[in-house]
Amino acid sequence: MTMTTLPRTEQRVARSLAESADPQAALARALEAIGESLGWRLGAAWEPPAEQPDQLVCVETWHAAEVDGHEFEEASRGVVLPGGEGLPGRVWLSGKAAWISDVQRDGNFPRAEAARRMGLHAAFCFPFRSARGVLGVIEFFTGEPRELDADLLATMDTLGDQIGQAVERRRDSEALRSKDARHQAILDAALDCVVIMDHTGRVLAFNPAAERTFGYDAGLAVGQDMADLIIPPDLRERHRRGLARYLETGEPVLLDRRVEITGMTVEGTAFPVELTITRIDAPGPVTFAGHIRDISDRKAAEEELRASRARIVAAADAARRRIERDLHDGAQQRLVELALELRMARSRLDADPVEVAEFLDAAVETLAAATSELRELARGIHPAALTEGGLRPALQALVDRCSVRARLLAVPDERLPAAVEATAYFVVAEALTNAVRYADAQSVEVRAVRTGGRLRVEVRDDGRGGAQADSGSGLRGLADRLAAIDGTLEVTTAAGGGTLLAAEMPCES
Amino acid sequence: MVNDQRVPVALLIVDDNPRFRLMAARVLADAGFAVVAEAGDGASALEAASVHRPAVALVDLNLPDQSGLDVAERLALGPEPLAVVLTPTHDAADFGDRIQRCGARGFIPKAELSGARLMELLAG
Repeated sequence: MTMTTLPRTEQRVARSLAESADPQAALARALEAIGESLGWRLGAAWEPPAEQPDQLVCVETWHAAEVDGHEFEEASRGVVLPGGEGLPGRVWLSGKAAWISDVQRDGNFPRAEAARRMGLHAAFCFPFRSARGVLGVIEFFTGEPRELDADLLATMDTLGDQIGQAVERRRDSEALRSKDARHQAILDAALDCVVIMDHTGRVLAFNPAAERTFGYDAGLAVGQDMADLIIPPDLRERHRRGLARYLETGEPVLLDRRVEITGMTVEGTAFPVELTITRIDAPGPVTFAGHIRDISDRKAAEEELRASRARIVAAADAARRRIERDLHDGAQQRLVELALELRMARSRLDADPVEVAEFLDAAVETLAAATSELRELARGIHPAALTEGGLRPALQALVDRCSVRARLLAVPDERLPAAVEATAYFVVAEALTNAVRYADAQSVEVRAVRTGGRLRVEVRDDGRGGAQADSGSGLRGLADRLAAIDGTLEVTTAAGGGTLLAAEMPCES
Repeated sequence: MVNDQRVPVALLIVDDNPRFRLMAARVLADAGFAVVAEAGDGASALEAASVHRPAVALVDLNLPDQSGLDVAERLALGPEPLAVVLTPTHDAADFGDRIQRCGARGFIPKAELSGARLMELLAG
């Protein structure tokens, strides 16, 4: 090769690299530029596959227009060359360009058979590299044997640097673009709002969730002050001061913590949000990402839970007060009377035996009354029949004592967990009370059926209907009690009148 | 106060339980106390006191319309003071110095009511 074509070759390669947008095109066009400039027949580029850095596979091939290169190309694409093997392998290993005068006479050329059939003789190979090291090797073949051309090889070595840098730059760009695309896709798909802002609080990006939650179009939001957009007026100054303080001192106040504050939609509706602000570590001026989650639902659920707990505690206190009052007005009075009767009997013992008998009779009656009151009270607190016999005897007793006609149509025989039995009992007790007191019922049916891991209790009356689960503290107390064991309460007016109260609760043995 | 057994001591019983009023009257009759009036709540107690002018009043702590301590105070420290003894259902020790401050002579738990006990309290 004469000296005059080498600079032209270099120029041509440089131009074709500049015109290539992606790394694969860069390699292909570099091969084409070299091959056509030098007038050789076939070229190929080799790189290590990702999983096997010490081997080479053929990633790109070129053939001169008039050459049918497919057999050689197939042979090249079909092999994996370990370092040191073949022309590419030895250049990969040594890191230095190499020249083979005649591949058909070379002892280390696995593709010799294909070379023979295609009439290929001379070959050279050079590494292409970047700042990170050798990326791969490029080889060329021609149709007659040639002696080593040192100038050519030197030129190729230089080109190897250019090609390597160009390929790597384009690969880095591609990786960056796909990373950016992936990040954008994450932000687009995120359920939480993500607002990116700069150090002055100005919005740089506003993801689709933020658009939906706050009601601003991203196009309008970008460029505006984040505080003006999504923070209620009375909190804006605090937000701005926090940001300014951070920039001044590096002391984060709101940073990296989940804070519950108030957000505001475009219509001015305020709602509770959970906010986390993180700093984005990237070169350039500091930017922040605000992650915002609408926690209205969570707050409402917390409030309902708090209210339900308060109701349950209040109900327990009220029940205790009722017990105290029942004891005071009932059994305690009887015992006081009993004490006085016995004292008077004692005082009459010497004087008047007849009066003694009278007082003792009165005392026996008073004692019976006291015992009966205590028994009623205990049944109201927790019936012995339930603890000792389970739901069957306890529900039967409720049904028998009901002042309107009531029947127990189904009840499990086996014992159930204490909390389930107590809840089922009080559901039936309350339902029977309501049927008599409010619904004007003539008859009531009670069923308790266990299926799988759940107990379903139904009380059906033929009365007025129209009751609702949240009206009246009795039913709401039942609903709270059921909620506490993960159960549900449903009160419906049946077609044709009457009320059906249905409670369901989990019931594992 | 020393009780001259020949002259019964005029007694007002204030309690919302009629059976207790009856029993207390019988128990105390032997010790020389005569019930001149009964009342089931604070309002009628004050009225009965001004009409019948008893010397001693037994007052329940648990009245339906007002606190027994308030009634006791009005009877003991009012314009026509009388000796007031509180009759709690149980122990009134929890009430501490409220008993003294309302002007009552002391208290006797209902179940322990007797003529001797009442006389002892009024004397001391």
